[in-house]
Amino acid sequence: MDDQQARFQALVIPHLDRLLRFAQRRTASAVDAEDAVQDTCVKAWLSFADLRDAAKVRPWLYRILRSVLSDVSEKSDRRRQLVDITRLEQAHEELIGGDTDVVFSEVAARLDSEMLVRALEMIPEDFATAVELHDIDGFKYHEIAEIAGIPIGTVMSRISRGRRLLAGTIVANRRAWGLGAIDITRPAARSRQGGDRTPS
Amino acid sequence: MSDAPLNFRAPPHERPGDDDAREARHQVLATLLGAYADGELPAETVAQIDAHLLGCVHCRREVALHSTLRERLQREPMATASAVLRDRIAAQIAATPLVHTEPVPVAASTQPWWQSRVVRLAAVLGVALLTATVVMRERSAPSSARTAAVSLSAAPLLQHVVQDYRNVIARDLPGRARDLDAVRGAVPFPVQPLHGDGVRLLAAWSTDLNGEPAAVLAYRWHDQLVLEYLVAEPVFFRHPSVRAPIAAGEAVSAVSGVQGMLAWAAPESGAILVGDVSPRALLALRAGETGH
Repeated sequence: MDDQQARFQALVIPHLDRLLRFAQRRTASAVDAEDAVQDTCVKAWLSFADLRDAAKVRPWLYRILRSVLSDVSEKSDRRRQLVDITRLEQAHEELIGGDTDVVFSEVAARLDSEMLVRALEMIPEDFATAVELHDIDGFKYHEIAEIAGIPIGTVMSRISRGRRLLAGTIVANRRAWGLGAIDITRPAARSRQGGDRTPS
Repeated sequence: MSDAPLNFRAPPHERPGDDDAREARHQVLATLLGAYADGELPAETVAQIDAHLLGCVHCRREVALHSTLRERLQREPMATASAVLRDRIAAQIAATPLVHTEPVPVAASTQPWWQSRVVRLAAVLGVALLTATVVMRERSAPSSARTAAVSLSAAPLLQHVVQDYRNVIARDLPGRARDLDAVRGAVPFPVQPLHGDGVRLLAAWSTDLNGEPAAVLAYRWHDQLVLEYLVAEPVFFRHPSVRAPIAAGEAVSAVSGVQGMLAWAAPESGAILVGDVSPRALLALRAGETGH
């Protein structure tokens, strides 16, 4: 192994697990996810000279992986289960806007990984990706902007809206996923500092 | 993100019943509450939202929802790349020659003017001879001394050229110099060999690059074998990584392993020189220089 290969492997190999996890959420099979990660590594190797700052290797790899996955997703019907956004927003509003306590944390605590993946698949890809890059993969907003090639304000709105849609998806599907025993509509207790919706 | 504070406070003159204005501010807030929960907002905006949250249970719930989802998603288990996958990747990397770019110094334009070859010639031979020299060298002199280094991975044409070059140099040359006329008849664009000090045409043949017809001219240049590939204009200008620098008046250079390449637009075609030399040397060859 020459120096360049050793340097490449030292920089890239530590991120394989994360890349694989990201790919698994976007491919139809584990084999497809591994192929996408392998393609990403080869593409990264071929353009290794483009990596000017080793500290930015992880966003750089994700950017390449997203490009690889965009080709894969064209052939996949992975996200065909998209549901009506209006319905999800209504479900979110019921959760947040009604005269109820927030018991969503109880619902979230009972979610398993499979349910989460299904919920993420049901919201539009751009929103899901922004949420996942931040919450699962641990990127900061400015890094997500770099990976996705979008302004940071767009990252902000995609994460905000993405989580709202995700919550709406979970609430809308809670009975189908066996979480129906949790009552999200019980009467609210008075909050400590003003229970009414009174924007200042 | 921007440090500019975001104003979503109610204006002092707002009437209590102005629900539309309140709702509009809530819509603005809705896009900020995720960033607020994630600690991604500037301090002044955070202070404004803190003040708002004191009186708004709706937004407090929204913030709690953001935090709950984030914390749940953070607990998602990590995948594990198998040893087989790691080995596959390592093997493919080892088998894939690293393609890298090499900045090519500008040949003539970076020299002080008094070191310019043209000026030295002019000093010796006079303006008339200089003019004649320029005319004679029009075919071989670069249209521009500037070059743009590109990555081979971004230029499929150059990849095909270097692959064909490697195949050719591993065997006997497939043609002879006297085949030039036959080559000219075989391709739909002009084929004009380079001329210059120490440059001699050894062989010519036609081939195809990824299914596209190409003429190949093999030169001996100071005991180096250098091939010139000529392709049709649509093939040469197909990819933006080549098209863009050419449009900017630059030649294109690339390096793959020990091979250097230099590409430029020729009449009704595109030309790519490739050899086991640096792009700088190829630039010198093209310009009729004598040194490597």
